[in-house]
Amino acid sequence: MNATTINSNNLSWSARLHEGSVAWLRLITYFGMALGAAALAIWGMDAYSENGYLPQLLSLHGATWVIGGGIAGMLFGALTRQKQAQYARVVTGLVPWCDGIIMMVALMAVYTLFEPEAALINYEDQSNFFSGRVVMAMNVLFMFSGICYIAYLFAPERFIARMATMSAWAATYAGGSALLLRWYESYLIMGGDIGHAPVSNLYEVFILLFCIISAMYLAFERRYNAHGMGAFVMVLVAAGVFFSLWLDSIGQADIKPLVPALQSYWMKIHVPLNFVGYGAFAVACAAGMAWLTRARIEKTNPQSRMLNTFPTLDQIDQLAYKAVAVGFPAFTLATILGAAWAAEAWGGYWSWDPKETWALIVWLFYGAYLHVRISHGWNGRTLAWWAVVGFFVTLFCFVGVNMYLSGLHSYGRLV
Amino acid sequence: MTIIQSIKSFMIRLASMPLAIVILSVLALASVIGTVLLQNQSETDYLTQFGPVWYWVFQSLGLFDMYHSWWFLGLLGFLMLSLTLCLWRNVPRMLKEMRAKKVTMADHAWARLPHQDAFVIQSEDLDGSVEKLKKLLPAWSWRTQQDMPGGMVSMRGDKGAYHKAGYILVHSALLVILVGGWMSVQLGFRGNMSVPEGEVGNEITFLKDTDVQRKTMPFSVRCNSFNLEFFSTGAPKEFRSNLTIIDDGKEVLTSDIIVNEPLYYKGVRIYQASFGDGGSSLGLKLFRLDGSQVVDHAAVNVYQTYTDPKTGVSLEIQDFKAYNVQNMANPGEPKKFRDLGPAVDFVLRGPGLKPVKVRSFMNPFMQDDQNQGMFMMISLTGDNKDFEPLFIGPDFSNAKEWALFHAFNRYAQEEAGEKEAYLKAFKRALNEIYGEDRPADMQDMGLRMLQTTQMLADFPWPFIPVLDDYDQVFYTGLQLAEDPGMDVVWLGSAILVGGLCIMLYVSHRRMWVELSLRDGGISVRVAGMANRNPLAFTQAFNQDLMLLKESFAHQTQEKV
Ligand code: HEM
Repeated sequence: MNATTINSNNLSWSARLHEGSVAWLRLITYFGMALGAAALAIWGMDAYSENGYLPQLLSLHGATWVIGGGIAGMLFGALTRQKQAQYARVVTGLVPWCDGIIMMVALMAVYTLFEPEAALINYEDQSNFFSGRVVMAMNVLFMFSGICYIAYLFAPERFIARMATMSAWAATYAGGSALLLRWYESYLIMGGDIGHAPVSNLYEVFILLFCIISAMYLAFERRYNAHGMGAFVMVLVAAGVFFSLWLDSIGQADIKPLVPALQSYWMKIHVPLNFVGYGAFAVACAAGMAWLTRARIEKTNPQSRMLNTFPTLDQIDQLAYKAVAVGFPAFTLATILGAAWAAEAWGGYWSWDPKETWALIVWLFYGAYLHVRISHGWNGRTLAWWAVVGFFVTLFCFVGVNMYLSGLHSYGRLV
Repeated sequence: MTIIQSIKSFMIRLASMPLAIVILSVLALASVIGTVLLQNQSETDYLTQFGPVWYWVFQSLGLFDMYHSWWFLGLLGFLMLSLTLCLWRNVPRMLKEMRAKKVTMADHAWARLPHQDAFVIQSEDLDGSVEKLKKLLPAWSWRTQQDMPGGMVSMRGDKGAYHKAGYILVHSALLVILVGGWMSVQLGFRGNMSVPEGEVGNEITFLKDTDVQRKTMPFSVRCNSFNLEFFSTGAPKEFRSNLTIIDDGKEVLTSDIIVNEPLYYKGVRIYQASFGDGGSSLGLKLFRLDGSQVVDHAAVNVYQTYTDPKTGVSLEIQDFKAYNVQNMANPGEPKKFRDLGPAVDFVLRGPGLKPVKVRSFMNPFMQDDQNQGMFMMISLTGDNKDFEPLFIGPDFSNAKEWALFHAFNRYAQEEAGEKEAYLKAFKRALNEIYGEDRPADMQDMGLRMLQTTQMLADFPWPFIPVLDDYDQVFYTGLQLAEDPGMDVVWLGSAILVGGLCIMLYVSHRRMWVELSLRDGGISVRVAGMANRNPLAFTQAFNQDLMLLKESFAHQTQEKV
């Protein structure tokens, strides 16, 4: 991105926010704030308590930690400004994600105005919470987006692609902000006794997963102009939406108290990071499906107009690899941090519990993928299938283990 | 072929990637078996599940404790061997590659590079141009070679030259993690210790194969107190033990532990793992059903058996709980959580009696503020799943109702045969016990008395045991673990993640520049390549090239 340093004078102000030293400064400040919030959990409280964390974070005490971290970050950023050229790609890649999270927090703050009065809130019937409505909006938007993406395959109009992309963005923001709102809502019931981060049951992590898949895909879409792949991604997401609607219908969507083993700051690190991995593997799976579809169309009907909507086979192949390259380290780190949590909660870092073991299987599966890809230079059809099958292995690790196998991870059990 | 040669070729095969993939796949498949087949269950469970033949097959394959079976460990050992050989084979080559930075390049090599360009600088200041170029592209680490024939200057820039280190780090990290795991298994231990409140323990038990093994710790742990907190739904909120470590007869440290916050002492971690009744002392009232109206008192501790001296009936006390929160809503209704109060579980046995498991509650059952009388649950199989509610009717904890019951029975016998005998008997009993001061729910009480009399007429037990008072004592279930391999595993993990990031995100980019004086200007040719992500490199290379051309612009002229 050195080109931007040459002609930065004629950049618009919004572009300047996302480039160069301004972006660098902002990114490092965000990092500082996040570290401040983490430090609050570890050192800033007498003892970590799950239902004490958010109130602490929002109090003056918490603000000093977060703002202090932000200021420290900003200073560090200012001192290391000349480094920004070196990391320009990373910075311009990461800053929008942080901005997105800030946007979600702002949205959530607006939603709180629509919450029912305290007298109407109760634990037994949580249907009047506003987050339910936002989630419903998210569901509708994701399905609409899926329909648009599919329509785009058959009628490649720019307008349809824009609708699809925009509704996917809207759905992502709705999902993320709804989750944050649930965090806030968990403090409204039972006198704030059961407040906890919204990553504690299958329903919540499903919403998280949709948002991660969608956001990751949209980032790829922007870079590779890969609208044709959206149909495959959104079909996966829409299937998930139906599953989460079913979960809701059997009463699994309620905010429930956390069992003691889950009351730990590890939960907030381990779970979302795992879902970065799962989400990336889902995108890789969609890319694999897109590859196979395109290859088939090329063979049977090389004149098809549909081909114009797809990126080339090479690009899709690259994209699948990119997704795995994001997902694999995230998943590795998540598994390691899971082991660290287990060492603190269960007395051992590895117990061959089914969830752990399946995480290992998933990891080995994608490890083998990287081997054959990087060292043997395989690509194309085999790896497209590999990515598709890999996601089913991942799905089993994620949902199947909860449904069919028992073990220490039994918090995620269905019904 | 000599033996040395064949060993060598065997080792090379061991270090090869296809073998690595085979090992990874076999490990993955084996792990699947281990998750589908429940591990470390009891022998009888397996026998009933699989029958003797399959049991024998699975048993001899070690499938019931698969992750510790010889072949699984062998597989892991094989993996370690393969990793070691692969590192040993590849690392020297890679290190050499990382260090080798030949600045110049032969013409045929230039021709093969994917990205090239050339331009001319209108200047004769060769050294100045070289310096300027270095300043323009500071992110590259540059080497220059000047003493070239024809006054040519060769430059080479590298970015991410440490890419290959990623491979080395990732694979050595796996080795480190496996070694750490092996140390954990060989040198560590993990066992359980139950310490009742106020008592001291220093022995842990753990399962080795199928036997229980014991180990004495070098220090003792006293449980000062154990506390439970509940959410209002009845779900547990916190388990907290206050422990004192006693080492060498001295109290060295007192601390609370909860789940997720273990205590660390002399390399041993002490976890809150479980809890249970530590032998609470209970008082039970025995309401005699022999008509004598006698109420006896039995004092007993949990895990002990009380034998009634009068009848020989025994109560084997199994558990006590001070809270019994239950969802009282019918299926489909919104949940309604209620605490039914303290309850004791015991097995009742006696001459001529069928043994049953009983959960007897201290308080009468209240429904919508109405006293529904004494309440217990009975399980004929002895399994908690099969508990069925049993309503006795009156609330005998109220002495007047107990008296009323006897008066009613007495009068009912006197009036037997009369018209409306029971009604008369009930009225007389009421007069005797309550006088003018009639209870408000007289009607219901009458019905209950009638029911109870009929029910108790063929009640098999000689008395009704009801929990009367308690002094609760918990035991805390601790897990003690020492794991000298753990830090090694963390070290390996950190290296793994770092190495992965280098391997996946750092691409080794190389750029070559040659500057030579020609026709009063400097002729420049540039070429570059990257070992991964060619798309991004093309972009970056073109940007760098544009920057060079623009910066030298007032001196530049496109070469034709
Ligand atoms: C799942 C974790 C693993 C990952 C992510 C991984 C990744 C990789 C990658 C990316 C390469 C290519 C390196 C390069 O050429 O730059 C590679 C090569 C290789 N790996 Fe692994 N590896 C893993 C586990 C293993 C294991 C367990 C073994 C040993 C059995 C192994 C043995 C090898 C071998 C023999 C090569 C070929 C080296 C060469 O000839 O260049 N890997 N690995």
